[in-house]
Amino acid sequence: MQALKELGAPGLGGIVLFVGRVRPDRTRLGRVRALTYESHRALALEEFRALEAEARERYEVGRIVIWHRIGTVPVAEPSVVIGAASAHRRAAFDATSMLIERLKSDVPLWKSERVRPGRPLRRRPSRGPARSAG
Amino acid sequence: MNRRLKVLLFATAREAVGRSRVDVDIPKNGSTVRQVVALLARDYPRLAGVLTSCRFTRNGEYVQGWSARVRPGDEFAIHPPYSGG
Repeated sequence: MQALKELGAPGLGGIVLFVGRVRPDRTRLGRVRALTYESHRALALEEFRALEAEARERYEVGRIVIWHRIGTVPVAEPSVVIGAASAHRRAAFDATSMLIERLKSDVPLWKSERVRPGRPLRRRPSRGPARSAG
Repeated sequence: MNRRLKVLLFATAREAVGRSRVDVDIPKNGSTVRQVVALLARDYPRLAGVLTSCRFTRNGEYVQGWSARVRPGDEFAIHPPYSGG
């Protein structure tokens, strides 16, 4: 709801919000209970700013949110929120799609699966379209 | 004179070394990225296999090519393939 508030403004008739949640995937060690995220924080924030600037240049969007959680995120909770607001829906859809794909490929963020407390299991890095949460 | 290069390790690189930061000594006039990576692979054999798929940054910017130079006092980071989202 906070994201919707930040995206709302007069004249922006279309809001697209993508929320990626942690899935309880099966692994060889058991079912995923949580994902733990880490980042190279300074560089990740810089990449967020660059992605926002690119989205503004390519699409006619008025407002953008790019949020990602760091630390342990339990199953079913959101790990990432991407949103765009524009006068008409097409630009907001296009910007949101571009932002989530590029977040996965360009931003120094890493996840590891937690199957049981204290047992991290590295997931294969995502390449191309989303394969895991988000 | 400080001849240390600060190396930040993330994700599988951190797990391979067991620490999120190591310092390596380099010549006072600097080293190439290729030399630093070779040094790290020698000192941390478990890291060697991880390094082949990594990107590298120097002071918050991506380094371009193996011949790029790093200098004592720089912050060098090792980025395994990203998996956010």
